[in-house]
Order: sequence, then C-alpha cells, then structure tokens
Amino acid sequence: MQCEEARARLDAYIDGEVAETERALLRDHLAGCADCGPEAAALQRLREEIRNSVPIYRAPEALRSQIRFALRREAAASAPASMRPSGWLAYAASILLAVAVGSGGTFLALGERQEDRVAAEVIDSHLRSLLGAHLTDVVSSDQHTVKPWFAGRSDLSPPAVDLSAEGFPLVGGRLDVIEGKPVPALVYKRRQHVISVFVLPAGKADLGETLTRRGYSLRHWDEGDLGFWAVTDAAPSELADFEHVFRAATKG
Amino acid sequence: MAWIAERRRRSRFESVVLPHLDAGYALARWLTRNDADAADVVQEACLRAFRYFDSYREGDAKSWLLKIVRRSCYDWLERNRPSDLVPLETATDPDGAVHAPSAPEIDPEALLQSRSDLRHLDRLIEELPAPLREALVLRELQELDYRQIAEVTGVPIGTVMSRLHRARSALRGAWDKKGCR
Repeated sequence: MQCEEARARLDAYIDGEVAETERALLRDHLAGCADCGPEAAALQRLREEIRNSVPIYRAPEALRSQIRFALRREAAASAPASMRPSGWLAYAASILLAVAVGSGGTFLALGERQEDRVAAEVIDSHLRSLLGAHLTDVVSSDQHTVKPWFAGRSDLSPPAVDLSAEGFPLVGGRLDVIEGKPVPALVYKRRQHVISVFVLPAGKADLGETLTRRGYSLRHWDEGDLGFWAVTDAAPSELADFEHVFRAATKG
Repeated sequence: MAWIAERRRRSRFESVVLPHLDAGYALARWLTRNDADAADVVQEACLRAFRYFDSYREGDAKSWLLKIVRRSCYDWLERNRPSDLVPLETATDPDGAVHAPSAPEIDPEALLQSRSDLRHLDRLIEELPAPLREALVLRELQELDYRQIAEVTGVPIGTVMSRLHRARSALRGAWDKKGCR
C-alpha cells in the first residue's frame, strides 16, 4: 500500500470503518512507514485527548421531569381528538400491536423465538436498571465480594472478574428477572457507558456477531453450562472487545 | 378507552426514547453552546418526537431522537442565531453543477488558529463550524458509526468522512501550534 492511499483511509481506519482485509493492509503499512505511522498515532492521541478532557453533558434532572410533565399534558390534550373517530376497532388494533411489540416481534430476524424474547427482555432489563436506581444491588469491584453475594440468591454462579486493566472496570452486580426467573447480572463500565452482563443457563449457540437493537448493542455466547447476554449503549466494536477479554479472563 | 391507548403510547415513548435523553441533550448543548438553550431545544424536540412517534419503526431509537434534536437545534439557531449557520460546502446539484455559495466559504483551520484565546479543546470544538462540530461530537463523544452519523445529519457517508477529517485536521492544527492542553 502507498502512503497516499493510506492517508486517505486513516480516519476510517481509526474509526473502525474499514473491512478486515483493508485493515490488515493498513496495519502493515502503518507499522512500517515512518510518516504514516506517527500520523495515525497523532489522530489516536487527539481522540483520547477529546474523550478525556472535554465535558460530558447530561440532561439535568429538572429537564427530565419537565419533559415527562409536558408529555403527560400533550398526551391528555391529544387523546380525545385523535381517538374519538377511530373507535373500538382502532383501539383493539392498538392493543394487538402493543402485544406484538411487547412479545419481541422485533427479533424475528434472529429466527429462534425464545432467543428473540430473551434478547428483548435483556435490553428492557438493562434500560430499567439505567432509568431507575436499581443499577447494582452489590457495589464492588472485588470479585470476592460480588461472586459470593449471588450465592443463595440464584442457582447460577457467575464468574465475576474485574477487567479494569482492559478498560472495563467491574462496578458490581444485581439480581434481575429474565423470563420470570431471577438471574444474576454483572455490571461493568466502559468510560461513561454501562455494560450489563446477564447470566442464564446455557442454551443456544453463540450469535457470533453484535446485534444492534433500538440503539443498543447486544452479544450472546455460551461458556460451559452458562449462557451470557451482554448489552450496552457503547459502540458495537467495544462490546466485541468486551466479550473477548471477558471470555479470556473467565476461561483460565 | 382512548386514554388507556394514549397512556400506553406515552409510556412506550418514555421507555424507548427517553433513555437517549442524555445523548440528545449533549448534542443540543454542543450545537447551541449554552445550557439553557440546549434544555429549551431538547424539550421542544421531545414533544416533536412524541407527535411523530407513530412514524417511528422499531430500530435505532438513539439515531431517531438525535435526528429530531438536531433538526430542532438548526430551527432554533435559524430563528435566534442565524450567524452561527454559515455555509460550509459549496452546494452541488445531483448532476454535479456547482452553485456559488451565498457567503464566502470558511477555512476552519485558519479560523481556529486565528483565535489565540482558545487554549482548551472544548473551546476549539465549540468554534468549529456546526456541520464539522456535530460530526465530531457524534463520532467521538456519542460514538456513533458513520452510517448512524449519516442518518442523523442527513448527508452521505462520504460527506461524514470528509467532515470528520476536516474537523480533526483543524483541531490538530490549532492544538499542535499552540501546545494547547
């Protein structure tokens, strides 16, 4: 690969937007080229500097409640007008639609019905934990605290490992409910993002790819007799990295 | 009966869309560069999103909300701070004909370097022209991929790529030159 060609692809390369074959060519070129290599490193440094030094803005609590209030008012105002002419039929249809959506109709593309339902529940549980105060029941980065906490609360004993060194610190664990059964959930952080890992009895084969649903990334894999479901709003590639380091750390 | 359906719709909206409120607020904050204005715009955007919620199909709710927040930001800027919206690229027709821009094009790199008072990265980012700023913020801080950024900002992926490149070059130019921290 020539420098000119490599330069044009540097941004895409550090953004993880090039296919594997081209990625390998670029990696080789950057490793050997005294001009392009430092250029790529400088782009990477800029990214880190931005992520470390720039403020993270979050919606103030007051705005959140104002919006909920405004939505309530808006819904109350629009209900009679929009619903009156449509009558029973539309109402029945709306319930049918809600049921179809609620039962995981989104995940039909995955093929397997039970998997679909679990995937939908995993995302919902992750969301509930972020919205409410129930992110963790036990707060600790120490695996010797988190793991025993689950004993007696669940039949499943999750391998709670701290992955701080790999950039995924263990925050704690909680008991959640999937398919009507209590299941352990491990909570990790990736910068400001939360990763929930639900532990179920092993079931189906690995998904082998990251699914993106409703803006969340989702991965599933089995290890021994445990099945893992990881969900986050971090980038899909980061969840793939997470699976990789988590499996490497729990295998040994 | 009606209120049950309406409440169902509202609670579905709240569970699908509101988890992305932080992302929406952050984008509005970077585009309006002000807390109070960002809050106003985001509230307006959420009501707008709620009205359009029937047009939302299962999919990427984050991108869907960000797209509406972005549109609301631009509407707000047009009304309140039109000077913030300078043309960045020379407009082209689908057939390739080039139109003269209505104002001179800006060179973001020269712009940043001329401002010696800007010594911090966040201030430099705030000075980038809005189209470069939003691409950079969506990529580096919201961690969207190119396809999602294209979806949110309504431009082709190639344009996303070149805007990111221009934003980074401008920042690096200013940053290296001044030894900013």
